[in-house]
Amino acid sequence: MRNKWFLMSFILILSMFVLAACGGDDQEEATESNEEETTQTEESNEETSEENASEETGGEVNLYTGRHYDTDQELYDKFEEETGIKVNVIEGKDDELIARLDREGEASEADLLITADAGRLHRAKSQELLQPIESDVLSENIPEKFRDEDNNWFGLTKRARVIAYHKERVNEEDIQTYMDLTKDEFQDKVLIRSSSNIYNQSLVASMIATEGEEAAKEWAQGIVDNMAREPQGGDRDQAKAVAAGEGDVAVMNTYYMGKMLNSEDEEEVKVAEQLGIMFPNQDTTGTHVNISGVGVTASSQNTENAKKFIEFLSNEEAQKQFAEANYEYPVNPNVEPSELLQSWGEFKEQDIRLNELGENNDRAIQIMNEVGWK
Amino acid sequence: MSRLNLLRKLPGYMNIWSILSLAIVILILIPNMTILFNFFTQKAENWNHIQEYILPDLLKNTGLLIVFTGILTIIIGTSLAWIVSAYEFPMKKFFKWGLILPLAIPPYIAGYTYNGILNYTGVIQTTLRNNWDIKVDQVYFNILNLPGAVFIFTLFLFPYVYTITRAFLANQSASLIENARLLGRSPVDIFFRVVLPISRGAIVGGVSLVLLEVLNDYGVVQYFGVPTFSTAIFQTWFGMNDLNSAIKLSATLMFIVFAILTLEKVLRGRKKYASTTAKARPLHPTRLIGWKAWGAFGYCLFIFLLGFLIPFVQLIDWMLLTFEKIASPEFTTLIWNSLLVSFVGALLIVLFAVIIANFSRMHQSALSKSAAKVTILGYSIPGAVIAVGISTVFIGIDSGLSRFYESTGLESRLFLSTSLVILISAYIIRFLAIGYNSIESGFDKIGNKYTEASRMLGMNMTRTFFKVDLKMIKAPLISGFLLAFIEIIKELPLTLILRPFNFGTLSTNAFKYASDEQIHEAALASIIIVVISAIAVFVFHQVLEKESN
Repeated sequence: MRNKWFLMSFILILSMFVLAACGGDDQEEATESNEEETTQTEESNEETSEENASEETGGEVNLYTGRHYDTDQELYDKFEEETGIKVNVIEGKDDELIARLDREGEASEADLLITADAGRLHRAKSQELLQPIESDVLSENIPEKFRDEDNNWFGLTKRARVIAYHKERVNEEDIQTYMDLTKDEFQDKVLIRSSSNIYNQSLVASMIATEGEEAAKEWAQGIVDNMAREPQGGDRDQAKAVAAGEGDVAVMNTYYMGKMLNSEDEEEVKVAEQLGIMFPNQDTTGTHVNISGVGVTASSQNTENAKKFIEFLSNEEAQKQFAEANYEYPVNPNVEPSELLQSWGEFKEQDIRLNELGENNDRAIQIMNEVGWK
Repeated sequence: MSRLNLLRKLPGYMNIWSILSLAIVILILIPNMTILFNFFTQKAENWNHIQEYILPDLLKNTGLLIVFTGILTIIIGTSLAWIVSAYEFPMKKFFKWGLILPLAIPPYIAGYTYNGILNYTGVIQTTLRNNWDIKVDQVYFNILNLPGAVFIFTLFLFPYVYTITRAFLANQSASLIENARLLGRSPVDIFFRVVLPISRGAIVGGVSLVLLEVLNDYGVVQYFGVPTFSTAIFQTWFGMNDLNSAIKLSATLMFIVFAILTLEKVLRGRKKYASTTAKARPLHPTRLIGWKAWGAFGYCLFIFLLGFLIPFVQLIDWMLLTFEKIASPEFTTLIWNSLLVSFVGALLIVLFAVIIANFSRMHQSALSKSAAKVTILGYSIPGAVIAVGISTVFIGIDSGLSRFYESTGLESRLFLSTSLVILISAYIIRFLAIGYNSIESGFDKIGNKYTEASRMLGMNMTRTFFKVDLKMIKAPLISGFLLAFIEIIKELPLTLILRPFNFGTLSTNAFKYASDEQIHEAALASIIIVVISAIAVFVFHQVLEKESN
């Protein structure tokens, strides 16, 4: 008897999968007929979300985020406290979250996508995964430069990709631009991570935008020629290599410097203290600045809640916490950056549309492959 | 009599086992097929670029990784297996299972940890620098390169070779080895002339698992800056947004995998080693004395230190550094989630593996053979690629079921694809091979004669299975379950991509910090993973021991 029961449960489980398999075969037909249905469900959903809003819970908002800071959760809790809107979160790798959104398509339950790098946000936009949001609050809180021109995405924090140099071995005057890294005197002295890293891709993409493809390729070639070692590790590893004497200059994002200076590991602090940071291209095109930002998904069913959420993150109070969690600069001009960042001084930012980082991304990767940037 | 004739006339593959096996095969094949289907239908825009600039490097790196990791794991795994099963020396009882412990540490965490130990701010260099003002050349301490990746893979994957070979030697080799000893062969001679040839099947089985793990790895090679297929797949797909090139790369990778698997079959040869009794006589170890005993002890200790104790102590150190900042009640939920998915996943894997293994053993048909081969498919494909295939399928099912969802009043449009069902199905596809290997070798060992005897005495296949077979493969069942459990609790890419809202596990928590280069903060979750896996390893060992006694 027991055996029979055992087998029966087997069959039950498996039949579910067989059913699943059949469903997969009919996929195309199903999606076609589904399109009509979704338009219907959208209407009915609007009604339900209105109902939800009138209830005391205030509804929900579903968030895909590439940020992983514990203090973010405090902000979400606070948002829930203020508005009654519950924030459901899936954390993941930025690129995979975008790919997931793409696969889920119209049916996706995500309302918001938070991700680092404008190149990625642009990719999400060009895959039609985001939708425009009109909000006076956002227009006021976020400078035009850090918003998508069609309001598909909004920057929340900004970071600069700067040059860190060894204070004793390098004279700050010798290194004023990104181009200076390719000078002969830095032969075998430059530390930078792999070309698979989006920060480097966006840096090259920004050069394509400001100086053209050829100049960008020339620069990439110069970097490869001057590398102290094959690219490896993360931004912190580049800084450590400078301290260790493997090279003299490293390209890194500002917030890694902040993290190292505030590390629990006193050895990391010592490393960071040996380094000076400089904002390149101050007399020319400006330092490469990138953002982490947010967009409302095209499939969102809680658009109003999502909008409220972005507005909440752009307000002065939240901006401070959101940016400081990762030693970044707030985008809201009314909010002062942390003391550490202020001590580095103000600097001239690269003046390009951030969408160009995304538009030039493919070309940037190709260039880096062509010059043999691992 | 007439009933028996009727049964004979029925095609051999028409029974509950074949139907269930077919269903499982379909479950595994469909997600993979969606990937392959695109391979033939879609044009990949960057493929020429990839062929010219990326592919040569990938083939070179992947080849080097496979060859060196393969050779080193064979040397370390087999020699340890031999020493531990043939000799008595201090602390041997502990090393027997202690040497499996490296499996408890996920390779990518080991990679981060070793870099943390060796780099400029690591414990070795800072001690030298701060106490004696010794500054070392970084070249000797740099682990972030291809040899470093081989080092990590070897140390943390060799237990696959060790465990399988040791189990084989301890239980199957007694008569041959003892005869060789009686005939006056020296230990070295016995190792090369007897041990290596007879355990060839076990070694090849273990090393092929190692190589598949290497091909599948993303975390280590990405951090170490060694471009391989998995990093290239990620870069073309996510970076260049060119899924089709990524699929072409995956298909190339699959080709390599099939080459390895074919090689495995060839190397294993046609011999079947079915023992004359289900519980073969165990090998009786000789006692080592003097420097030989300490030599064996030292070798085992050395590998154990490198493969477990050193990284474990470093992780504890980091955990203490960040404990107050990181620890929160949320960790109880994380532990519970990890245990839940690992338990359910491993249980289903064992169920499915038993069905296929039993079917393929009783019927030497094309279907049964391909069923056995298909199990390995998921193990060889990078997790992220499986994730795409499976989520495409599940989203399809969801849209097919949308009417049904509406009628039941479900609000979600992606009920299955945002539930744990999709995640657990992905685990099954990914790790079925682990359970299957263990159970298949169990079946191999008992052979078919008990089953055949039972069938002759009038029991049907299903009753025979429950009354005879299942009882004889109890130990392989449990060890298959435990191995799958360990794999799932360590698993990262699938969990990361396919998990539902507000659902985290220990490995996603460790990743959350490690990905932002906050390796110290990742230590707490890593430690819990390691401890749970270590307990599973211990139980796994107990099961094997009980089996051989």
